[in-house]
Order: sequence, then structure tokens, then C-alpha cells
Amino acid sequence: MDNLWIVFMTGLTAGGLSCLAVQGGLLTSSLAYQVESDLTARGIKPENHANPRFALPIILFLSAKLAAYSLLGALLGALGSVFQLTPLMRAILLFVIGIFMVGNALRMLNIHPVFRYFSFEPPAFLSRYIRRKARNTTGWFTPLFLGTLTIFIPCGITQSMMALAISSGDPVAGAAILFSFTLGASPVFFAVAYFAAQLGSRLERWFIRIVAIVLLVLGILSIDSGLNLAGSPISLSRLARLIAPQSPAAAFNPQPLFPQDPFQPAFPATEDPAPIPTQGVNSLVLAALNNGYSPEELIAPANQAIMLSVITKNTLSCSRAFVIPSLQVEEFLPQTGTVVIQIPPQESGTVIQFTCSMGMYTGEIRFQ
Amino acid sequence: MIIQRIFHVNDMECSACAMRLEGLEDILPGVTQIKASYHRQRLEIIFDDTVLSEEQFLQAVESLGYHAQAQ
Repeated sequence: MDNLWIVFMTGLTAGGLSCLAVQGGLLTSSLAYQVESDLTARGIKPENHANPRFALPIILFLSAKLAAYSLLGALLGALGSVFQLTPLMRAILLFVIGIFMVGNALRMLNIHPVFRYFSFEPPAFLSRYIRRKARNTTGWFTPLFLGTLTIFIPCGITQSMMALAISSGDPVAGAAILFSFTLGASPVFFAVAYFAAQLGSRLERWFIRIVAIVLLVLGILSIDSGLNLAGSPISLSRLARLIAPQSPAAAFNPQPLFPQDPFQPAFPATEDPAPIPTQGVNSLVLAALNNGYSPEELIAPANQAIMLSVITKNTLSCSRAFVIPSLQVEEFLPQTGTVVIQIPPQESGTVIQFTCSMGMYTGEIRFQ
Repeated sequence: MIIQRIFHVNDMECSACAMRLEGLEDILPGVTQIKASYHRQRLEIIFDDTVLSEEQFLQAVESLGYHAQAQ
């Protein structure tokens, strides 16, 4: 559930702005046109933006969008349960999405005309249909209809959330992901749609630049996650570890495995089912924490089989989905417990990368 | 007479701009079809020049904040 919170925050920060850049142009202008026509017909001055009548169509629009995306999430989750993605497939997906996001960011920053091709242009018949529907219908139907149609023009970040819904492999989880994301994106969308006429083109340009920079950062992170999940020796997080490596002594002495997390309530000892394994010559202990793995670098003797004990203690984050790409190991760890993974003998100098299934948290085992 | 004109619009910033320009076909009289491409920064119009002049069309484009140049 903590991942849903992250998804919600992604929607609230980057999602709202990104969706706005893609869907805002057509839909909010059609909406505003509709609202202004209604208000003019009723003899109300359209310039009066503080009029509460403006809020209702936007709320209807966002509610329909929320319902449509939740349904789409359930469908994608169901699709993911039929076609379970392997870590390598997820890695490729993350990498491609990352490239797509970076390309879109460079397009929005107007770096080169070639990046325009990263923008999805809806087929002419679809945009014409949406536009005419918006103009020719009245009342509450239009915003509901337009809100539903936004699923056909998802923005870059929405598309990555759709991929996340597929990889969840569960209709309920898929629906929850897209619901959380769309809900998170709604406040920005509402605020901008509400004050649309007051936003000058200068402010709009600023918005686009902010979206571009957020997209660029998220795109780079997505590419990095893809590289991590594919077990690539080159990635930003691994580069960071090379620049600031842990001392081998710290790697051999991982205690305390579970430092007191201020956001985590103290774990009652009675619920701890198994004692924490101790580290020996052929056994390594790794803690899967809510914010990553500890230690991030383990040292193991070469040419000997190793038993890697991965311990969780009230762990709720994606670090529970433990992956060693080069050994095709994928273990979903319990919330609290220990999973022992056998690692065959490795030559001296070998480095085995491990990561969470999202490619966010990483670490490595060095054999020497 | 029904004629076709093609313009270069280099200030389209996203595909929504293209959709916005295509929306002129619902507003302007005498327009048969407008096709706008953000990718190619191109605007194509088929219209009846006895009903709508090219100048009127260009003015409508400018009113949306874009600048069209004949290709």
C-alpha cells in the first residue's frame, strides 16, 4: 500500500502537470468553451471565474476520468495476470518508457525538431470526434464524456503508470494504481482548469518547462531502473556507489540490520518468528529495508557456494520483490521473515548485482 | 471554388496545438477540412474561396496565437 502512496504523490507532482500538457489543451479548452457558452446563455459574465458553476463540470470531468482510469487499471492488471512479465521484460519496459519520457522532455524544451516525434498525435478522426462532441452536446454529459475519453490520450507519466498496472498482474492492484495516480493528478488539473482563463501564455510556458524538467528526471530514473533490473554493470545508482563506496568492514558487519526508522513503529519481539541468521564464511546476511538493502555491498569468498539470507522485518516497500538478474533469481519476500537463496560458486572478481523488482533499490555481492 | 492551401506553422508546441487549429474547421464558414500536424509543423486547409478568403483564415489562425506562412 505504501507504493500506492508513491503513485499518488507521482500523480500529484508530475502527473498533474504532464496530463495537463497532453490533455489540457483540447479538453479544458473544450470544457471552458462549453462552460462559457452555458454561462453566457444564462446571462452570466464568463469573465467571472470565481463563479462556483465553473467547478461542477470540472469535477464531473475529473470524476469520469477517475472512473475510466480505474477501470482501465483493472483491465491492465487482468492482462498482466495472464502475461506475467519477467524481470527482463520489465527492465526493457522501464528502459523504453524512460527513453519516451526523456524524448518528450527534450521535445518540450524544444531542443531539436526530431523530438517532436515522441509526442503522440491522436488520429484525426478521434480528435475531430471529441471536438465535435464537446461542441454539440450540453449539460453534464459533455464533461463526463470528455473525462472518459482522456484514456485515449494518456500522457507519458500516465503511460508508465499503465505499465505499472500491467506489471502488478492483479485487476484490483491495477485499478488501485491508476485510481491513486489519477486522484493525485486531479488537484492540479482542477486548479488549472478552474483558473484556465487567468493563466496567461507566459505562465503556461513556465508550466511546460516545469513538466519537461520533472519528466526528464523521471525518465532518467526510469532508464536507470531498467538498467538495474537488467543487471547492467553501468547505471547511475551503481556509479554513485563507485564514487562513494562502503568500507569493506561495514560490509562484513551489517549490524544493526534494522536501524530504528522514525517512520516505522517499533516491532514487537513476540511477532518476530525467526532469529536473525548470523553471518559466517559461506553465509551472507542482507536486510531488505523499506528504503533499500543493507548493506548495499557484500563481500563473499570466491569459488564457494554461498547462502544468502535476505531478512525482512515489517518491510512493506518494493525491496520485498528481490531480484538477482544474472542468476534469474526472483523472490517475493514475506513482510517479516527470512528467505535463504543459494548462490553457486563464483570466480574471484565476479560482481553479482541485486535489485528490487522496480530497479529502484540496488546492491551487489563482490567475490574475492 | 474549392482550393487547397498548405502553411508552415512553426509555433505549434504540442499535438494539442494541432487539434486546436483543426478546431477552426468547426468555426469558419466555407472550410471543408483542416489538417494540422505538430510533427511536421504543417497546416493544410481545403476551403471555398468564394466564402472564405485566405486572409480571413490567416487572421483566424493568428487569433489563436499562431503564425502561418505559405509553403
